Amino acid sequence: MSTKQAPTRQAITLKGSTSLVTEFFKYAANTILFQRGVYPSDDFHMVKKYGQTVLVTQDLALENYLDKILRQVNKWLLTGVVTQLVVAIISKDTRTPLERWVFDIHLVEQPAENAGSRTAPKPETEIQAEIRSILKQIVSTVTFLPIIDEPTVFNILAYTTESADVPADEWVDTDPLAIEASKSQQVKLRSFSTDVHRIEAMVAYRYEG
Amino acid sequence: MNSDRFKTPANAPSRVASSLRSSTAPKRDSLAAELERDPKMSTAKRQQRTQAFSSHMSQAALERRLLAAEMAKGELERKLIEKDAQVDRLEADRRWLAEREEQEKAEKETERALHVEEKAKTDHELRELRRMYMTLRDEHAELRDEHAALERTTSQALSVHKNESSSLRLQVAQLERELSDALALAEQRSAAVEEVRAQMDDLSFVQSGSPRGESDTAKWNVIHNEVQSVVEHSKAVERENARMKAELERLREKRTNVEILREEKIALERKLRGVEELRTQVGKLEGELAAARRERAEWAHRARQLDSPSQTPISVTQSLTQLRLEHAHVLENHGANLALLRQREAELQDERAVVLELRASLDESNQRERAAAETIAQLEQSVALAEHEVGFLQKFNASFTLEAASHDASMVDEAKEQHVKNLEELLEQYKSRTHELETEMNNLKSRAVSTGASPSVRALREELEKEREAARDALTTLEKNKEANEQHLETIDRLEQTLFELRGEIGAGRHIPPNTRILSLRDNPAQQWADLRQEALDRLRAENGALLRRLHELEEGGARTAEQEKEDLVPRESLKVALEEKMELEETVRQKEKRLRRLQEVFTAKSAEFREAIASIMGVKLAFYQNGQVRVTSYYDLNASFVFQPISSKKEGSARMQLIAQGEGGPQELPQLMRNWVEKEQCIPCFLASVTLECYESWKRDREMGIER
Repeated sequence: MSTKQAPTRQAITLKGSTSLVTEFFKYAANTILFQRGVYPSDDFHMVKKYGQTVLVTQDLALENYLDKILRQVNKWLLTGVVTQLVVAIISKDTRTPLERWVFDIHLVEQPAENAGSRTAPKPETEIQAEIRSILKQIVSTVTFLPIIDEPTVFNILAYTTESADVPADEWVDTDPLAIEASKSQQVKLRSFSTDVHRIEAMVAYRYEG
Repeated sequence: MNSDRFKTPANAPSRVASSLRSSTAPKRDSLAAELERDPKMSTAKRQQRTQAFSSHMSQAALERRLLAAEMAKGELERKLIEKDAQVDRLEADRRWLAEREEQEKAEKETERALHVEEKAKTDHELRELRRMYMTLRDEHAELRDEHAALERTTSQALSVHKNESSSLRLQVAQLERELSDALALAEQRSAAVEEVRAQMDDLSFVQSGSPRGESDTAKWNVIHNEVQSVVEHSKAVERENARMKAELERLREKRTNVEILREEKIALERKLRGVEELRTQVGKLEGELAAARRERAEWAHRARQLDSPSQTPISVTQSLTQLRLEHAHVLENHGANLALLRQREAELQDERAVVLELRASLDESNQRERAAAETIAQLEQSVALAEHEVGFLQKFNASFTLEAASHDASMVDEAKEQHVKNLEELLEQYKSRTHELETEMNNLKSRAVSTGASPSVRALREELEKEREAARDALTTLEKNKEANEQHLETIDRLEQTLFELRGEIGAGRHIPPNTRILSLRDNPAQQWADLRQEALDRLRAENGALLRRLHELEEGGARTAEQEKEDLVPRESLKVALEEKMELEETVRQKEKRLRRLQEVFTAKSAEFREAIASIMGVKLAFYQNGQVRVTSYYDLNASFVFQPISSKKEGSARMQLIAQGEGGPQELPQLMRNWVEKEQCIPCFLASVTLECYESWKRDREMGIER
């Protein structure tokens, strides 16, 4: 009986987890864009999410862009081919990458089938608390990241496996927008995990001390 | 050139002459005179001169063109040389690239070979691991079967023992019942003996009373009584003895039963120990199995990873995985040890329980023994008493026989004497038997003290010691494992640091993990911005290029006419930009116009509304002119119309109207009204109101008349 029931429950968990992760990316990207001043702050409005207020863009073009990306990311997450998402902030004038916000996506290993010792599923309130703390940490990174005083633009990169199913007319292989080694600093942020995914956040930034 | 040199002086004087003409007007040179003198010749000369001039001009033009052509030729040659150089460079580049390509191809080949080799190796390993896994699984199954069989046999044995013990209990109960029955029987018998004795007493009394005298009968009575009491006592002793024998038998039986049970218990414990070992072995094997499985997964993962050759961090990750594996292994061992310890503890607990049980049973048996000793002591006391009595009786008997002998030898009842002697012998026998029994009982007691309880306790103690030692060993191994664990933790810390750094490498985008593609949307904001910039830049560059070209052309072609220059002065690109700008501006103008038109429409609609409202409320129609004049026409008489002009008064905020013209119609009293309201009172609203009233009256009158007609 248990072996018969297990797959369905897992499938539901995967789907739920994927939508949770996708939603998190949406709010994380919005928060980064607001906090790092990539778009004017008038473009954002406040929304209640995860038990706190989050700023979300009202710029239609940007919304469409994010939606398009997140739809594809959702598909990739379901097939488990995406390993990393990066929000890169680039200087408009010199086109040098200034910051890379990296979100590592790990698939949590399922315990073996003889799992009488199967752990209880993680409650959603706990996951939300973890997400909340990541978003708060993104907000608080403003205190140590270098101040950006030039116009910037951003790009979202997705690291996928070779075998990933990629719509060729929309997505293209691209430069990793690397920050040169001598001027790079990195800070590991918090992480959160569902029963299926574990997301580890990090920010690498250019710092000419 | 010669002609040029030749001609120039001829030209020069003329120019000089023309310049000097104004200053030296009255003076005439010889040439002029000649010209005047011979008009024909002068015309011919003029013709000649014009011809020469035109040829010179054409020559100059040709020369200029030649120069231009030469320059163009030079430029083209230069360009050709440049092109050649470029071609050479490109050729060199191409060669270099071809070389590179070949090199790369060779590298790829070697890498592929390496990869194939590695893959074969990993496949082999994988197969071996799988085989190992299979054998382990088989072993595991076998062990499980064995374990099950052992469990079954032990449970069977346990049930058998249980049955046996229950049957023994039943037997004991039966025996007790039998004992009670026997006791009851003894009671009955003693009652019967009592009865018989009473009868005998009676009979002896009768006997003694009839033949003998008074004293004899009294003596005989005494003797009889004594003998009776002795007999009674010996019977009681006999009874007691029988009872004790029975009890002894029972105790012996129980003891043998207990011995059997103990032996069986020991055998079972030994078996159980074997089972425990098997269990631990099974646990260990399971752990090994899990480890093998994990290793296999690892190998599979690595095999997958090895599908494409990666860069440097592979070795690092490999070592990392190895270390992790080791760590997992150690953890596993640690877990197994812990489990073993727990098991041992549980066993210890069980043993303790068994010891407690045994102690309880020992206490019970001790108590029983004490009770038996008490009863024995009682019996001894009673035996001593009986002996004492017997002694007394013997003495008594001896004196009696002495007395009897002194009195009369024939009187002695031989039969009685014989009887008494028999009784004495019997008593002696009983005594010896009692003594034997006592000694036997003592022996039994001592044996019970020395051997009965201690061996099992000693064995248990030894076992306990063994267990303790095992526990100590387990603890030491645990300590060792802990140390190893700490070391592993340190290495893990170090590796995590390097992992963090490597993560930073990946996070900063300097390292791309193998088998990974980096994708972005084709239409992303950065690209849009870049495109936008590029577009603007391209446009400006094109414009600049065109302008430069134009400048160059202008510098070169000085021969062009001013009109042409004017035509082509603006390059096409600039024009395009200007046109685009114009289009944009036109678009905005159009939008603005549209807006204006809409506003106008709204305004006219509103003003019409306003006029209608005025007409219906005040009874006058208003028409506004461009110059600010207002024509007022009565609603009831279209001929009665007045034109007002605003006059700006000196007071701010109020504009007064002035009547400047009037229509043809109107009521008859109009001049009067005008004089009264406008000139005298200077109140135009009142004037208009009275005019309206008059007009209404006349209109009403006309209508009535019209209806009548």
